[in-house]
Amino acid sequence: MHSNSKNMDTMVLHKGEVFEHVFVNEQVNLHIEQETGSKVKVVVVNVSIDPRGTRDTRNSIFIDQLGEGCETEIYAMAYLHGEERVTTETHVLHAIGGGSSNQLIKFVLDDNAQGHFIGDLKIAQDAQQTEAHQTNRNLLLSDTAEMRTQPQLEIYADDVKATHGASTGQLDESALFYMQQRGIDKQKARQLLVGAFMREVLDKIPNALIPDSLTPLLNAIDGVVE
Amino acid sequence: MSKLLEIINLHASIGGKEILKGVNLVINEGEVHAIMGPNGAGKSTLSAVLTGNPAYEVTQGEVYLRGENLLAMAPEVRARAGVFLSFQYPVEIPGVSMTNFMRTALNAKRAYEGKEALSAKEFLALMREKKRLLELPDKLNNRSVNEGFSGGEKKKNEIFQMAMLEPCLSILDETDSGLDIDALRIVAEGVNRLKTPHNASIVITHYQRLLDYIVPDFVHVLADGRIVKTGDKTLALELEEHGYDGIA
Repeated sequence: MHSNSKNMDTMVLHKGEVFEHVFVNEQVNLHIEQETGSKVKVVVVNVSIDPRGTRDTRNSIFIDQLGEGCETEIYAMAYLHGEERVTTETHVLHAIGGGSSNQLIKFVLDDNAQGHFIGDLKIAQDAQQTEAHQTNRNLLLSDTAEMRTQPQLEIYADDVKATHGASTGQLDESALFYMQQRGIDKQKARQLLVGAFMREVLDKIPNALIPDSLTPLLNAIDGVVE
Repeated sequence: MSKLLEIINLHASIGGKEILKGVNLVINEGEVHAIMGPNGAGKSTLSAVLTGNPAYEVTQGEVYLRGENLLAMAPEVRARAGVFLSFQYPVEIPGVSMTNFMRTALNAKRAYEGKEALSAKEFLALMREKKRLLELPDKLNNRSVNEGFSGGEKKKNEIFQMAMLEPCLSILDETDSGLDIDALRIVAEGVNRLKTPHNASIVITHYQRLLDYIVPDFVHVLADGRIVKTGDKTLALELEEHGYDGIA
């Protein structure tokens, strides 16, 4: 089905099985076939605060819903500085109906960082009563950061609920001024806004699955108010 | 009675268009000044310039807060020094809770004054006390700043923040707009209770209605970027009856 997924190990989730995983600063290569009623929840976090960072990371997530009533949740966030690049591609196929997928993909890009999101969502003709949502939100913190977004939706069934949205913007100047008017310096106001933006993805991580490697980032977000 | 704010020949523009064309005003401690005027006269520009909104450029004039050059201060320093603006359109900040926002702001001000930061417990107790003043619900703490608030809640939330920060100079920009009579009463009572002999307020309003509740010592008419008339509270009633055309 997906030609460029052939080099990946394919994981099969049998009836009713659940796969939950949090990836932090890894290059994700995932291909999952979901059978009836199985659930997938993956959270992908890429963080590089090093202004000299030069890594180029590619996250590839392929999900095939092959049985009825499957659930898929994909949440990804990249916070990049320096020359870092992250490409996150998601390929979600609803082959059979009654399933759902929910994707929230966010990038925060500073310095010369580059982000690329490819969101490929296909709802086959037999996949009636599918509910699929794909959202991509990006924040550019410098004039030289760059974001590319390529949502690709193919919908062949007629009784489905599908939404997608993509936006790229900068920090809200009016919110920054509002906070400054209450005595919060601009740097701290920026931190609060960036933290709030990222928190929407980080909050999707089940408490029991918060990896140690994320603790410094979470503390940094919380720390601005301590 | 000591001088709190002194505005001397203030000129300001936005996008190259001059809005304020020579404003002069002295405000002493303990005073309430109302600024009235037709739309486009420069009322909101004056509040934006006094608080350091970067969208506006001061082209001429001076402003002193207790003798210090206000215009040389960054917006956050002006706030810490005690200048507070109740925004006409309070900004929604999704994802930043009222508690975190207020605690960051209050502790920044306390650091500026050389005071220690409040502990979480002290801070929450203070929030509780000040919320009662504005009849705000407890659930406020965990809500994002202004997000999903009704018009009335947003204005109450502004006065709540004023109660928390105890500014020496409060600028209320069209605080009455969009308020029903009950919310107006609560907001006005809040403002009145925060009045001390050492602070002062500038009440910017289009209508006389708010001034029934917050009684000004002085009423100024701002028209075409200048204060064209100053009087006592009876001036507001006169304006209500005859409109601005008879004045400017």
